[in-house]
Amino acid sequence: MIRIEYATQRLSLRFFMLMLVLFFFQTGFGLLLAAQHVDPALLAGVLNFNVIRAEHTNLAVLWILSGFIGTILFVGPLLSKRELAAPALIKFLFYALIAIVLWNVATQVLAQTGVAGWWHGEPLLQEGLEYLEAGRIADVVILIGFAILCYVVLRSFPPLSKWNEIHWGLGIGVVALTLVWIFGMFFVERLDLQEYFRWYVVHYWVEGVWEVIHISLVGFLLVLMFRADIKSVGYAVFWGISLVWLSGLIGNAHHYFWIGTPEFWQFWGSLFSALEPLPLIFCFWHIYLDAHQDGKPIRNMPAFAFLLGSVVLEQVGAGILGFTMTFALTNVWSHGTWVTLSHAHLALFGTFGMLGIAAAYYAVPIMRGVTGFDQRHGKLAFWLVFTSMLGLGFAFAIGGTVQVFTYRTLGLDWFGGDVAPAMQFAKLMAPLFGTLFTVGVCLLAYDLLTLGLTKPAPSARRAQETAAMAARAPSRWGRRLTGWEAGLWLLGLWVAGAVITLGLLSFNLPFVQQGHAALPYLMASIGYPGLFIVTLLFVWRFLSSLEARTHVDAGLPLATAAVAPSASG
Amino acid sequence: MSCVEGEPCVEGRKRRRAVLALGLMAVIFLALSAVSFLDSRGQSVPNTVTYAGHEAVAGKRVFQAYNCMGCHTLVGNGAYFAPDLTGLYDKVGPAWLEAFLPSAGAWPTGAAVRVQLADSDVAAESGVATLDEYLAKYPAAAERIERRSSHASTMPNLPLTRSDVRALIAWLKYTSSMNTEGWPPVPRVDGIAVRRASLAAAASLPASAGIAASGSAASGSAASADAVPSEEARGESLARDFGCVACHAADARRLVGPGWGGLYGSSVPLADGSTVQADEAYLVESIRTPDAQVVAGFTPGSMVSYAEILDPEQIAAIVAYIRSLGENTR
Repeated sequence: MIRIEYATQRLSLRFFMLMLVLFFFQTGFGLLLAAQHVDPALLAGVLNFNVIRAEHTNLAVLWILSGFIGTILFVGPLLSKRELAAPALIKFLFYALIAIVLWNVATQVLAQTGVAGWWHGEPLLQEGLEYLEAGRIADVVILIGFAILCYVVLRSFPPLSKWNEIHWGLGIGVVALTLVWIFGMFFVERLDLQEYFRWYVVHYWVEGVWEVIHISLVGFLLVLMFRADIKSVGYAVFWGISLVWLSGLIGNAHHYFWIGTPEFWQFWGSLFSALEPLPLIFCFWHIYLDAHQDGKPIRNMPAFAFLLGSVVLEQVGAGILGFTMTFALTNVWSHGTWVTLSHAHLALFGTFGMLGIAAAYYAVPIMRGVTGFDQRHGKLAFWLVFTSMLGLGFAFAIGGTVQVFTYRTLGLDWFGGDVAPAMQFAKLMAPLFGTLFTVGVCLLAYDLLTLGLTKPAPSARRAQETAAMAARAPSRWGRRLTGWEAGLWLLGLWVAGAVITLGLLSFNLPFVQQGHAALPYLMASIGYPGLFIVTLLFVWRFLSSLEARTHVDAGLPLATAAVAPSASG
Repeated sequence: MSCVEGEPCVEGRKRRRAVLALGLMAVIFLALSAVSFLDSRGQSVPNTVTYAGHEAVAGKRVFQAYNCMGCHTLVGNGAYFAPDLTGLYDKVGPAWLEAFLPSAGAWPTGAAVRVQLADSDVAAESGVATLDEYLAKYPAAAERIERRSSHASTMPNLPLTRSDVRALIAWLKYTSSMNTEGWPPVPRVDGIAVRRASLAAAASLPASAGIAASGSAASGSAASADAVPSEEARGESLARDFGCVACHAADARRLVGPGWGGLYGSSVPLADGSTVQADEAYLVESIRTPDAQVVAGFTPGSMVSYAEILDPEQIAAIVAYIRSLGENTR
């Protein structure tokens, strides 16, 4: 597909552009947080840490949602084989989204002076609950926005009897997105009950709803990119979603270990959330299958790179790092420390952020009518954000391990005098990788914002580049990736994950509790770098093997599956 | 598991079973949830907890309004920039929190905690009357005073009113009384000793060196009282020991209360619209009964009365110190 088929697909462009702008500012706030961790006096009293953090997490949610909306609007007409319903409402949704972003950014600052806007017991302006900091006014407007999205998606889809699994996934996804949000719209007096419902929104959004939307969209993007058979993708989507819910529904219990709810949650949470990686392994396997169902070169490498990054970081950040801290015996240590940050950053940005960027890289050139574009910026940006996000994950994980020992094992609770100085090395790494990440974000935002608007690169240079690449013989690193090899890489990732898990478990050993940190530190310094290096090498290997296809087209046998008819016609 | 080309991929029975299993899990989850919040569990609830007449639920509203969770954690959830607050009340006790929260930018001194204990509400909630008893009952407060007092904290001063502070303490009293199933884990070693031993080993110094260094700040006033310092110097050390400097800067900056630099002799606008000359009599009265003449822009009740804590000589020394910080002859 090199041009759009339905005019209303163009409505997605503005959401992708908004996504990039919000992503840029979110990254900027993140960099400020990292700087404040190094020097807590920075901007103290002017822009306090808690305000910047609220902006950082809220913008993360909002730009990911903006990317989701853009992707759904772009694939919606292709899925429905007709134009989107109510384009005027979609335009309204866009301006409402901008308004709510500005409103929320402004109201979060009120936390510095303790203004929540209490009215009939509800905080209208901001409510100071992690991830749900938005006040009631913003909550209601966001709910209306979700309802509009539901209306547009459901009205655009064909009649229910003609739905395939992707329709069901997206349909259920947008409706659940709206319903689950409601659980965060009440002031709850009891702390345990408040946390219980807060995780309804946070966990069921991420694990129940976003994951479902993610699986559906990844599936359909694979259909579009590789002309994968929509039936087999639909099959994968159905079982992917089923596994997500079968594990994630009770898996939410891993948030109920220590909030004042009974001990039995530790059993249910440990058991079911240990199963949560299963759908992710399934998804991982399917991106391999679909990318290898024919041997054709990848026409849009940045889009595929980010899609692969999304599925791989989902495996690493959500699957493996989530697994390491999901057992009551490891969670009792990792809970409330930087260890959690490592998981959160890789999982949230990796899984959902990279999907939005992948979709943007796929859709923007098509909407701007670009047939061939200079992909080097996109590829470089991918490697910058991918590598530096792994680096950030490393900084957080190592800092977190030191924090667990200092804070929990030794019981030193003076953050300024004991905990922060012990974490100093990790605290310095965070802004370093953060700066690198910011460079990548600037590059990809610039690239996507201007893609197709500037004159194409001189053809001479491109010809030169192509010639240079063709001259490079396909190395062993670029040979075809077999299923066995992909399985071995996955095994490597999980071995590192096992080392990390055992490292966290070792905090339970009596001699570690007597003040000897060597064992958990050793396990962490093998496990985390091991995990991130294997991740990096695997993605490099995967992309190299696809990159090499350009030159060895004739030499490779096509995959067994015949080229399936494109779903989009 | 994959769908092979050409084979029927919709396995109706398998899929129906998956949906049934999901329904079963939803039932299990909801049943567990219902049991979790039964009254018979005996979990503490906020609407039965009060502190000095302030309700814990009111404290929750303050806690959310200031987005405390954006730096701290509570039951381990929140940011990881500052300590977990769940069990803090039980560890440090109410008087330490009363001394810390209004001027969070600096760690309270022992004398500042003693000032709070003079309040009968605080003493009643603490269950002790004197500072020595308090420190024995709340060893974490003793440790904080020994190691941290006179250091700046990394928390900003927040514009909390006196009732905000008490409501927050009520909220922390509630969270301390919660059963969190053994979290956070209780340390099995004396972490400070382990840290000092490893520091000493690294620097090949005797392990006691660290203790001496950190203990000196608290005991400084007793040592310097033997010499005969000037009245201003005595005032300065009193101001430090009694925690005055946590709220009052030595220059004209506003920390929590008005800055002392250039204050003496200046004309001060009051909340009732009048102005007053900040002479010796006014400053003495402000220390003894702070709410008698409140400066414009400040809330009454922010500062406790020092009439029963400082004798006239000590107050005179502090006023002499304020005078030494710059006299305004305008």
